[in-house]
Amino acid sequence: MGSLYNFLNTHSLYIVLIIVLVIWLGIFIYLYRLDKKVNELYEQNESEKENMK
Amino acid sequence: MKKSWMKIAIGVWIAAVLVVGISMPIGHIPGLGAKARIIYFHVPMSWLAVLAFFMSMWYGIMYLRRKDMKHDIKSASAAELGFAFSILATLTGSIWARFSWGSFWNWDPRETSIFVLLLIYGAYFSLRSAIEVEERRATLSAVYSIVAFVTVPFFVFIMPRLMTGLHPGEGSPAPILNANGKMYMEASMRYVFYASLLGFTFLYIWLFNLRSKVGILSYNNHSEIE
Amino acid sequence: MPGSDCSSLKMKRLRPILSPMRGAVAIFSKDLNSELRTRYALNSLIMFVVVTLSIILFSTAGETVSPSLSAGILWIIVFFAAMSGLSRSFVSEEERGTTMTLQLWVEPSSVLVGKLLFNSLLIYVLNLMIIVAYMLTMPSFVVKSPLIFLITVVMGTFGLSAASTFIAAIISKANSKGTLYPVLSFPILLPLLMGVIDATRLSVEGATFGEAAGDFKILLSYCVVVTTVSVMLFDFVWRD
Repeated sequence: MGSLYNFLNTHSLYIVLIIVLVIWLGIFIYLYRLDKKVNELYEQNESEKENMK
Repeated sequence: MKKSWMKIAIGVWIAAVLVVGISMPIGHIPGLGAKARIIYFHVPMSWLAVLAFFMSMWYGIMYLRRKDMKHDIKSASAAELGFAFSILATLTGSIWARFSWGSFWNWDPRETSIFVLLLIYGAYFSLRSAIEVEERRATLSAVYSIVAFVTVPFFVFIMPRLMTGLHPGEGSPAPILNANGKMYMEASMRYVFYASLLGFTFLYIWLFNLRSKVGILSYNNHSEIE
Repeated sequence: MPGSDCSSLKMKRLRPILSPMRGAVAIFSKDLNSELRTRYALNSLIMFVVVTLSIILFSTAGETVSPSLSAGILWIIVFFAAMSGLSRSFVSEEERGTTMTLQLWVEPSSVLVGKLLFNSLLIYVLNLMIIVAYMLTMPSFVVKSPLIFLITVVMGTFGLSAASTFIAAIISKANSKGTLYPVLSFPILLPLLMGVIDATRLSVEGATFGEAAGDFKILLSYCVVVTTVSVMLFDFVWRD
């Protein structure tokens, strides 16, 4: 851990890169959850169509 | 946001902000160095957390006036996104604080404010999950978000009395923002910063529209079945 | 018989029987009477304070507590006592099924004002006891500027009961009432608590009135804003 800390302290641009990575991961997790919701809706709609027939 | 070229433009715009923000040389900033580039990515996150908080209250008021469930869905969507962005602002901020201030959490005034914002969002969602009747849930959560929005500005006045700030511009060396809130950034840095704010704001609007559409669809589906 | 057909019921809903002032007084005296009869809230609150205070005294035994820390501890006791004491003020109406009756008889705003008056009285009495007990048992808590301390307690207690009365009204319509109450109240009360703790610290440190004036401005505007907003929004919560 200590060497990583020293590395980041001297090359502080990598801290900014880690931060950008965190933001991307956050947006990705949000999209993943949204996708799950849309899929649920889709399944619901499909099963309703089946029932209509 | 109906036209697809706007969404592509958001994608290209943010990509450009990322590239320029990381690669463009910035002048020598005492004590911060390359870490100053966080302003391009961290500040937009906290700005979106506050914007979403405002929008959640705004659609809450609209719901109380019109009693249209769409407004409640929009209010909840804004709160959900705001929660996500305040988590991002907290995470990015505390990673940065580890290297600039020595520890992940320091109870700086702005850290305290974002902590309170997280608490409010948490309270808002636990209130929503505790009420089953839809109209009642919508009314009470709208009322709560208004009360929360009204009390939050007091932190702006009370915080400086209790603690001194650590954020750049609040301590004695003021490399980026000075005490009057005036910008002391180089012009080139300022342009990138504004461009980033603009890009992320549009990204937020897109996500917000997407989330509320999903919410409205699932509400319609749900009421059709009954 | 009045009230037998729908239209006269609606008339009553639009124009409650008691005038706003009399309604508020009626609600206040109703709550006061039932409290005096059972002493339900006050008795359990006194026990709560005794338990909390003794835990704090056990854990700080032999330690020297700094003035600012002792100011914080005092308001922690007050906050949690208020949380456990006021949570039932609207829930009890829902449980007894008296909400509808109150809706017929009095204006929504006078329900809020009446409840607020009773709750403030309860918390003022409670705070008086807490502060006396705290001063007697905490050797490091010596108020050097009594005027600052008095104003802080008067305004802080009112703000505390204003915000928690309104949150109690929201809670009474939700499912998990007990656990939700402090969760919803804490972010709303935090600016008030911070201001009150700062002003109490100043009074213990013997500051002049001018130094505490900034805190008083914040406390006063907090009380005004929270009271106004709760009166404005109470209709939505009550008639739902």
